[in-house]
Amino acid sequence: MSAISIRNLSKTYPVPFRRLRAFFRRPVKDPVEALRDVSFEVETGEIFGLIGRNGAGKTTLTKIVATLVQPTTGSVSVHGHDSVSDDEHVRRHIGLSTAEERSFYWRLTSEQNLMFFARLHGLSDRVAKQRIKDVFAKLELDEVARRRFGELSTGNKQRLAVARALLANPPVLLLDEPTRSLDPLAAARMRDLIRSLAGQAPPVTILLTSHNLAEVETLCARVAIISRGRIRAIDTPRNLRDLTSGSETVQISLSSGEKISFTRQHDDDLLDKNIRELQTDGKRIIDIETERATLLDVLERFEAADEQS
Amino acid sequence: MNSLKLLPRRIFAFVARDFRLFVSYRMQFFLRILSVLTVVTTLFFISKIFAGFTDPQFTQWRDPLASWLTGLAVLNYFMTGFSSLANSIRQEQMQGTLESVLLTPINLPTIIVASSAWDFLETTFFSFLYLFFGRVFFGVQFRGSFFLALVFLLLTTVVLACLGILSASFAMVFKRGDPFGIFLGAGSALFSGVFFPTQLLRDYAGSKLGNISLILPATHGLQGIRQVLIEGHTLSQVTQPLITLLGFLVVLLPFSLWIFGRAVRRAKREGSLIQY
Repeated sequence: MSAISIRNLSKTYPVPFRRLRAFFRRPVKDPVEALRDVSFEVETGEIFGLIGRNGAGKTTLTKIVATLVQPTTGSVSVHGHDSVSDDEHVRRHIGLSTAEERSFYWRLTSEQNLMFFARLHGLSDRVAKQRIKDVFAKLELDEVARRRFGELSTGNKQRLAVARALLANPPVLLLDEPTRSLDPLAAARMRDLIRSLAGQAPPVTILLTSHNLAEVETLCARVAIISRGRIRAIDTPRNLRDLTSGSETVQISLSSGEKISFTRQHDDDLLDKNIRELQTDGKRIIDIETERATLLDVLERFEAADEQS
Repeated sequence: MNSLKLLPRRIFAFVARDFRLFVSYRMQFFLRILSVLTVVTTLFFISKIFAGFTDPQFTQWRDPLASWLTGLAVLNYFMTGFSSLANSIRQEQMQGTLESVLLTPINLPTIIVASSAWDFLETTFFSFLYLFFGRVFFGVQFRGSFFLALVFLLLTTVVLACLGILSASFAMVFKRGDPFGIFLGAGSALFSGVFFPTQLLRDYAGSKLGNISLILPATHGLQGIRQVLIEGHTLSQVTQPLITLLGFLVVLLPFSLWIFGRAVRRAKREGSLIQY
């Protein structure tokens, strides 16, 4: 069974009181289509990336999985539980971390905030205290445990959101921009933590949405590109890059200061051939750099196609 | 573990959270105590104007101070009953925390009960203060069964809480302009007999306006509580307001829960849970 299963999911945000507005001859906006016929599965222990521009539908999709928004058509199930008819069970299986700072009580300390949410998850105070201690240690938040949320730095607020998502040990994590406000070192540690969660036993399934494409490329086994509410492609980062171009530019630097550049296809043997030739000629290679298409190129390609259509 | 077993833990979570938020504003607490004392003192002096002038047909108003204090204490409680949930929901929406709460495996009835729990505790304290200050500083006498009065208080509060659930549903969908709060807030003070006997409304404003008091649960609750505390009536003498309140409860409880469920579903459909 897949950890997350999304089938033919569509979401159109209705215009509130449309008929009433029309009756009073008030201007009526069109309903907003946020998602159209989205289908994919995320396997247990997989880190699955979701990328797209602002307003592409990432947040709506995440919120539907989290049971906070209801789909118009289609279905989402988490570990076999339907997100609409069995929403309470789904919420037992997920932890959501968003970059939304307002989701905490600003006058309570970090510890008090987490204790409140732990109790709502049904944890006893003894278990809750231990879990809070664990997640604080994992996210290096011990020093700010007794500080009011409002006094925390943006980065610590972000880490506390991840800590809250981990509180009840959920088998599925929905992470929205988990490293957005973190310094480079903290961001690297967060990425390590995400990797370790997916690799632990039992593994945690992670649906990661991010604008940091390098991060998505590094972390995710598969990535979905979402544009204007539709999934345009789902594959491994490497295969997605190949959609744009199957070639890469290679630059070899030699100890003599000379640089040799050439373009190769991913599956050809041009690189081996060139290295062998250089070694045969007695030249010492000091660096090899490759420049290949990135997920950004892929994203741009789909966006351009969408704009044209 | 099922939701019912976890209910006390979740109620405690909300109470502990709200208590911590409450004590983070200490000054407000002392000012409110002072304000209750000021109101009670003022009413004591106003009651002296009416000493000996009370119409004998208004048996509950022989000591106007006792009537006003029970009226205010109970009105305070009733207001919490119908405004607490809507205020909690609205506050969570404004703070942006509603989504985080709804993201936990907690069902709607639990949210309803738990998010208002602290407000009721706080109101119980301040309502008690009205009676306490009246008794200690101004010698107001209360008689009859406090237990029976408590039954009335709880029953009326639950009925008003049903209206509070409707009010919260309104806040969930329309965000502002809650008609229940406006109608019941102003209506209860004017029509329920908090400050004067409801009979006077009929005498001076006609039976149509006077009968409005009959459709307000607060009127029946207050009547019952005063009959018990001021007139010393027993259970058999207060069956009429008791049955009326039970009638309100049977109709309003399932209806309000159904409406609240629909309001949450609508907000989820519109994606407007955290909008305000």
